[in-house]
Amino acid sequence: MTALVELEGVVKRFGDFTAVERMDLTIEQGEFIAIMGPSGCGKTTTLRMLAGLEQPTSGTIRIGGEMMNDVPPHKRDTPLVWQSLALFPFLNARENVEFGLKMRGFDAATRKRKALDWLERLDIGEFAERNVDTLSGGQRQRVALARSLVTEPQLLLLDEPLSALDAHLVIRMQSVLTRLQRELGITFVYVTHSQSEAFAMADRVVIMSKGNIAQIGKPRDIYRTPANRFVAEFVGRNNILSGTVTTADAAAVQIETPVGSFTVTPEGPPPAIGQTASFVIAADLVNITETAQNTGNSLSCTLISEEFIGSMVTLFLEAADGTEFKVQVQERALGSLDLKSGNTLHLSWSADNAHLLIGETE
Amino acid sequence: MPRPNTYALTWRLPIIVWQLLFFIGPLLFMIAMSFFLVKNYRMIEAFEMKNWVKMFGRNYFWDSYWLTLWLATLSTIVTTLVAFPASFALAFRTSETTRRWAIFLLIIPFFTSYLVRTFSWYTILAESGVINAMLGTIGIDPITMLNTKFGTIVGYMTLTLPLVVVLQTFALANIDRNLVQAARNLGCPPWRTILTVIVPLAKTGLIVAALFCFILSFGDFVAPYYLGGSKPPTLPILIIDTTKSGQQWPRAAVVAVVMMVTLITIAFTAITLAYRKRASA
Repeated sequence: MTALVELEGVVKRFGDFTAVERMDLTIEQGEFIAIMGPSGCGKTTTLRMLAGLEQPTSGTIRIGGEMMNDVPPHKRDTPLVWQSLALFPFLNARENVEFGLKMRGFDAATRKRKALDWLERLDIGEFAERNVDTLSGGQRQRVALARSLVTEPQLLLLDEPLSALDAHLVIRMQSVLTRLQRELGITFVYVTHSQSEAFAMADRVVIMSKGNIAQIGKPRDIYRTPANRFVAEFVGRNNILSGTVTTADAAAVQIETPVGSFTVTPEGPPPAIGQTASFVIAADLVNITETAQNTGNSLSCTLISEEFIGSMVTLFLEAADGTEFKVQVQERALGSLDLKSGNTLHLSWSADNAHLLIGETE
Repeated sequence: MPRPNTYALTWRLPIIVWQLLFFIGPLLFMIAMSFFLVKNYRMIEAFEMKNWVKMFGRNYFWDSYWLTLWLATLSTIVTTLVAFPASFALAFRTSETTRRWAIFLLIIPFFTSYLVRTFSWYTILAESGVINAMLGTIGIDPITMLNTKFGTIVGYMTLTLPLVVVLQTFALANIDRNLVQAARNLGCPPWRTILTVIVPLAKTGLIVAALFCFILSFGDFVAPYYLGGSKPPTLPILIIDTTKSGQQWPRAAVVAVVMMVTLITIAFTAITLAYRKRASA
């Protein structure tokens, strides 16, 4: 693999406001990368810098090895699929798709043929001559995609393109996008606040927080081994406990927390005794029983409420000191568990499933 | 039958009554008057085509008609083009605060009588005016600007330019900036976005601004009379002249009706164009 996009120490300030504090990121040719984070984390600013719509305050941006800092947007080949779609209302679907070709000086016949090919490829050929105002959200989405892809770019930028669609359309468009990306072999940089979109499509996910990269990794790694407390909390459905290290070796670390002492298997070098540390235990890796388990990491909690979303159920519980716990179980695995709120239930988990965060506290 | 909404009617009534009394009524009367006759300097109620035949048969009427149409069109084109860079700058290159102040300043000229503003051009455009005095210092002979078509256009623009800039600025400021950026993103150089995206997006407002300019110029008496020298006369001057010479109110009514029909046709066409969704079907 070769690097297509390289961001090196990129900083972007708007007056006193720092949108991107420091960004170092290399994106490979043909990679589907998702940039995710809460609003205001700098993900859209990063994307706009790649498109040349903003200039970095400092640092360098290279695309295909070329220094891009001062290259204006119209001299780049970095089409953006806008959150608002930004289709031209005074042009029909085909003319919208033709726009980029027209700017690149293609003749009318070639423009039309290419535009119709792309509309056909995205299953909206029959709407080519329709005014974009008369199309549905999903159809408009496809016009926007065709308009961006018709110039055959190496890099496609997407800014929360599915955020305005209905849930069932989002799933359909996700498969359209992943299929397209595989077929074309081009690089997608996909900005979203939706974890499910990012995890479902991306090869790698970049989690941003307050203008910095909090973690870069494969979706599974981000989910199972969050690098820090921010990521663990942002990814959701995680229980995080903090305390002090009481014993530590390469095989087991004991952490004393307000709700008890727990064992964690460290993935790297163990922390020093007396150091503060946290560990993450994902909600779906916690066992829940009515009778106490006296082996390993266990804890008694009071059931507060449950959230049923079909095949999965999330139980919300509280430990003696008020610490909240989330447990996610298969609906059919609940069995005869008595789920009356106020009941006492017992949680347990394996030390191998807990993920250690050294030095991280509240 | 739907029950009449008395609440809505109560609120609409004043404007309906006003329009009936002071617009529709006089208009109908004017149309009727164009068929009246004048004998011994007195108007007689009649229904004769004489005035229409007479006016339409005269070259000076048609000369005046085409002149007025041409001057108003020229004024609209020049004003639109002169206003656009200013409006563009106000809409895209200035802060919200600057824009607000600029719009306020553009409204100020309307505080003063248009007639006064027109007369003030004398000191600037006259043979011994400011411009010619300055030209004189660098050895250029005086240029005649008063009592020319140039004078008329300057007069028209005194009336219309501030209004057109305000209307164009509103039209341009309301454009979705994302669409301009989207055009840049798709390979459109900055200067080209004006014609490819900005003008099409602001089309309705730009046409309405131009329409106002045309209507005001077409019906204006002051500029062609005081700055244009009234010879040859435009239609509003022709109306005055006709009423003054032998009390020919019915013939003046003919001119007025022709002006009305022309303006209605142009306004209708302009509004249709302004709101048409797309340029090509």
